[in-house]
Amino acid sequence: MNEVAPEGWLAAVEKLKADGFAYFDWLGCVDEIGRLDCFRVVLVVRNLAQGAEARMLSCLLPRDDPRIDTVGGVFAGAAWHEREAAELFGVEFIGGERRRLLLSPDFEGTPLRKDEVLAARTGMNWPGAKEPGESEFSPSRRRLVPPGVPDPAVWGDRDESLTSPEPTEVVESAVGGRPRRRRT
Amino acid sequence: MSSGEPSHRWIRLIEPACTSCMICARECPTWCINIDSHTEPVEGPAPGSRGRTQHVLDSFAIDWSLCMYCGICVEECPFDALEWVSDASPSGSSPSALVEEMVQPQSN
Repeated sequence: MNEVAPEGWLAAVEKLKADGFAYFDWLGCVDEIGRLDCFRVVLVVRNLAQGAEARMLSCLLPRDDPRIDTVGGVFAGAAWHEREAAELFGVEFIGGERRRLLLSPDFEGTPLRKDEVLAARTGMNWPGAKEPGESEFSPSRRRLVPPGVPDPAVWGDRDESLTSPEPTEVVESAVGGRPRRRRT
Repeated sequence: MSSGEPSHRWIRLIEPACTSCMICARECPTWCINIDSHTEPVEGPAPGSRGRTQHVLDSFAIDWSLCMYCGICVEECPFDALEWVSDASPSGSSPSALVEEMVQPQSN
């Protein structure tokens, strides 16, 4: 995987196409929260003349301002993938198609960002919270929380005197299991 | 899995194998499995031995309006108490009618 800077993204894709990697395979996005404060945009192109040999390009974008040039002018089919990444991760593809692809026009949020909380689930009884041998939800026990729902002490029942949680804190508390007692 | 048959259609509980361990309910991404169980003392322990208890399954319900047939519960069950069968899952006229209770009522 070749990593390029955002400024060199378009030129790197154009160069790959000129070098014979003229078949666009896919473009995707990864939320690197917890490891890096970044989104990673990944692009795969293939050279069909040489046994579909693949080249992978990636580019790190800062989470607070994820912007990258569109490659829709190089590979028209990439516009679809960019629209998907744009709406699911909130990445801006400069000069790209801005219409929504999958989500409804009035949907707010970026569902595949890992700090996006499934708010409806925080208010539901998770069937897995019961212990073997139990028929009722016992609130007193040290509860299990389901994956994808943050620890209530971080998000939801958070102490109002505290500042709102950092995205990393929300993500780290939403891995499921028994929340560890929080150090203050 | 029988060969050639469409078997990825409906999930069935093999009740005697279930230990109500809750693993399937915790792994289910759509939260469609609801298990109720209670604890009972094991009958007839050897004289002088410490009393033991076991979990008894009261209810095992799958909500077919939520299930997406991913099969994670079948894969994860450590006791092979869930299996794919080739019958179609039940139909119903309302979402609540799609909640299927899989524990057979005891006659005694």
